[in-house]
Amino acid sequence: MEPADELSNDQASLELDADPMRLNMGPSHPAMHGTIRMVMDLDGENLINLDVQPGYLHRGFEKSCERGTWAQVFPYADRLNYVSPMLNNVGWALAVEKLLGIEVPERCQYYRVVLGELSRIADHFTCNGASAMELGAFTPFLWLLKVRDWVWDILERETGARMTHSFGRIGGMAAPPTPNFKDDVRHLIPEIFKVVKETEIMLLRNRIFLDRMQGVGVLTKEQALSYGCTGPVARSTGIPYDVRKDHPYLVYDRFDFDVPIGEDGDNWDRFMVRLEEIRQSIRIIEQALEQMPDDGPVNVDDPRIVYPDKKDVYTTIEATIAHFKLVMEGLRVPEGEVYSFTEGGNGELGFHIVSDGSGTPYRVRVRPPCWYNLAASREMLLGGMIADIIPTFGSVNMIGGECDR
Amino acid sequence: MQAAWREGIEIPHYCWHPGLSIAANCRMCLVQVESGRQMAMPQLTFDEAKGEYVPSTKPKLQPACQLAAAEDMVVSSTNDEVKTAQASVQEFLLLNHPVDCPICDQAGECKLQDYYYEHQGTLKRKLTEPVHKPKGVRFGPTIVYDAERCIMCTRCIRVCDEVAKDHVLDMRERGNKNEIILAPGRELDHKYTLMTEHVCPVGALTSSDFRFKARVWFLKSREGVCTGCATGCNTHVDYDPRYGKVYRLRPRDNPDVNQFWMCDDGMMTYTRQATDRVLTPTSGRGDERLPIGEREAIALAAEKLQGVESSKLAVVLSAQHTTEDNLALAKLASALGAGRLYLAALGGWEGDDILRSNDNNPNRAGAAQVVGGSAPEGVGKLLEEVQSGEVQGVLALGWASAERLEELAPLVSLDAVVSLTSHVGPLPAAAEVVIPVADTFEVDGSFVNAKGMAQSFRAVLSAPADVEPAWKTIAGLAKALGKDLGFTDLEGLRKGLVDAAEAAQ
Repeated sequence: MEPADELSNDQASLELDADPMRLNMGPSHPAMHGTIRMVMDLDGENLINLDVQPGYLHRGFEKSCERGTWAQVFPYADRLNYVSPMLNNVGWALAVEKLLGIEVPERCQYYRVVLGELSRIADHFTCNGASAMELGAFTPFLWLLKVRDWVWDILERETGARMTHSFGRIGGMAAPPTPNFKDDVRHLIPEIFKVVKETEIMLLRNRIFLDRMQGVGVLTKEQALSYGCTGPVARSTGIPYDVRKDHPYLVYDRFDFDVPIGEDGDNWDRFMVRLEEIRQSIRIIEQALEQMPDDGPVNVDDPRIVYPDKKDVYTTIEATIAHFKLVMEGLRVPEGEVYSFTEGGNGELGFHIVSDGSGTPYRVRVRPPCWYNLAASREMLLGGMIADIIPTFGSVNMIGGECDR
Repeated sequence: MQAAWREGIEIPHYCWHPGLSIAANCRMCLVQVESGRQMAMPQLTFDEAKGEYVPSTKPKLQPACQLAAAEDMVVSSTNDEVKTAQASVQEFLLLNHPVDCPICDQAGECKLQDYYYEHQGTLKRKLTEPVHKPKGVRFGPTIVYDAERCIMCTRCIRVCDEVAKDHVLDMRERGNKNEIILAPGRELDHKYTLMTEHVCPVGALTSSDFRFKARVWFLKSREGVCTGCATGCNTHVDYDPRYGKVYRLRPRDNPDVNQFWMCDDGMMTYTRQATDRVLTPTSGRGDERLPIGEREAIALAAEKLQGVESSKLAVVLSAQHTTEDNLALAKLASALGAGRLYLAALGGWEGDDILRSNDNNPNRAGAAQVVGGSAPEGVGKLLEEVQSGEVQGVLALGWASAERLEELAPLVSLDAVVSLTSHVGPLPAAAEVVIPVADTFEVDGSFVNAKGMAQSFRAVLSAPADVEPAWKTIAGLAKALGKDLGFTDLEGLRKGLVDAAEAAQ
């Protein structure tokens, strides 16, 4: 090629390529949370075509479940939505209990509700904090995540683990509430409220934040419905669907709470729905703590479902046999299949399980809410600009563990 | 009980066994006959209003094992009365049971465990010290008895009486002191002692051979045929796939062969697979015996056999090897033009009129079949002919022969003696060239028992490295000798078996 200064003016004038540019984002990209690949065609900075490719965090969760006992699924379930593992734990327990036809004692139901709502609060704070951080606002991220740590402190005291608790059990919980449980949660509530307030002060009048969130990543009601979106993503478009309200499980029908909905289905609405849901979760927790009995059994009274007390296992043959059977062969679930669904952090978390009557699941299928929300994210992003991928994808709150299974 | 079984309904039971007489003492199989005249049992129930017990009745339940099915009979094995009875019987049986599951060999295949989970499911109500009884009692060379685990179903007593025809076990005392005892001055030492352990529904009788060796949930099972004698009892071969090791045999029900039983010697034949194996080809005799490579061994064997005139070459079949192995060898013999066939077999065994055949070789009939129907002469005749110089080379299959090594001395004088063997024994010891082959547990094959029934089985374990089934080794040897035996796989070989069987007819 000739040196540029020897070329005529005509030849030297830069002719930009008019063809769209194909760009690859992820899976090793911080904005893709390390697990999604987006192949995009760009016209300048505008997205004209987009291919969202999940699957980089596929661990064969469903197939793994077919190897162990029903109880051994709990650690796997923890790792679905690892931002709110307690909700998955309880979801799995409820599914198996539905197939067994049993209901856990009332105290346990309230306990599950409180722990679940705490997890939901942690989940929403994490998502909203990350949304702000991805737009360059680092302070709110740390500010909001400290709430997650407070919540995790409580969960750690209750379950022994910060994150992957594996605390659910078929027919109950691994342990009853600690004596200080109610006080701990009650002390935390005003602190959480304070942070919600501070979030509003920090972000809701910030011009940059408003511009990047409002009117960006719009999903219409029709699109949300046709993609099967649930949770905050669907509610932000104006669909008032919340499993806790529409198909109450545990004791959710005894609480007075609202289902916040948005109007535009943009990033802003998704942010605000989550913020409001934190408030509603606190309302639920307050009522649940009020109604929750202070004593009484947590687990169902059947040694063929719940592990007997260790003291009995070591001293009586009946408990030894029950323990042996549960560990070696697994709890036997009657033949049949059920679909059981709960409101997870991101929407309807469903378990479709099939039992052949043995101690091992015959088939486990998870309906991960993220999967449908992620599919809809293409609609949100198309026609937008490349920089909008970051806040939009953040507000979908795709969790790889749950999405790819 | 059996009528329900045929319909696919399992009525829980401990003492009933299809091969034994009916005792009806465990009471686990209680059912309610809902048709016909109802029998009522008087009982006392607590009257809340009066605050005292008042007389009432409940339906009388009957043991299903002792109940003959009749036309239009309506029987419930699952109604509330029966369920209560099952749970109560189960709770009663566990009342004084020791907390032994973690150290009990029966755990994992114990009926107490199964029925607890299916029919009881409650925790202990009696919190006083359980009754203690003798533990670890030696009943004989093969069986150890634990009275605390025993539920007094008397199956073991009935096995001794009815199968072994030897009344060596009985029961003494009643209630809490109830236990199984030996006849005075006796040991449990008849030929069917392991059957007492086999029928024991709990962990009261354990086999001293299997005791503490393996946990049953790690074992896998394949179907096999016993190699102990010409009866050919059907077996379950329980092996641990992690170690490639067989841990025990269990009888497999076959009404035409062994009903539900096996003898002790048959049960213990599994040990042969892991003991005294020949794994490396060797050449030379006595102190000069040296290991050689597999190909080298085949080539050497071929060379030695080629050096012998075919009319002076003897081929020895084995009554311990499968019909397929023997057929391959017979084919090789006819390909070589060697007409002198003999049969090596074990001796020194006593049969009985229960299960044990007088012949302790599993496949004498099969070996006879491949040469046209009548069994060839024994090794004794071969020795005579070696001494008279009519035989100058020998190709022998198997380790087993009734003759001891000293008696096989004439063979040692010959140079061309080739042995294909899975184990050490007199025949390989007398051979110049020894080539290892696979054991019965390591091959697909078939045996023909004394009744003339051919029973096939599949390999349980994989053969050791570089060791092949005998029929494959024989095919390799044939190739080295420049002969084609007309088969390349077991399927092709078995076709020849059909031809041989037809020719025999």
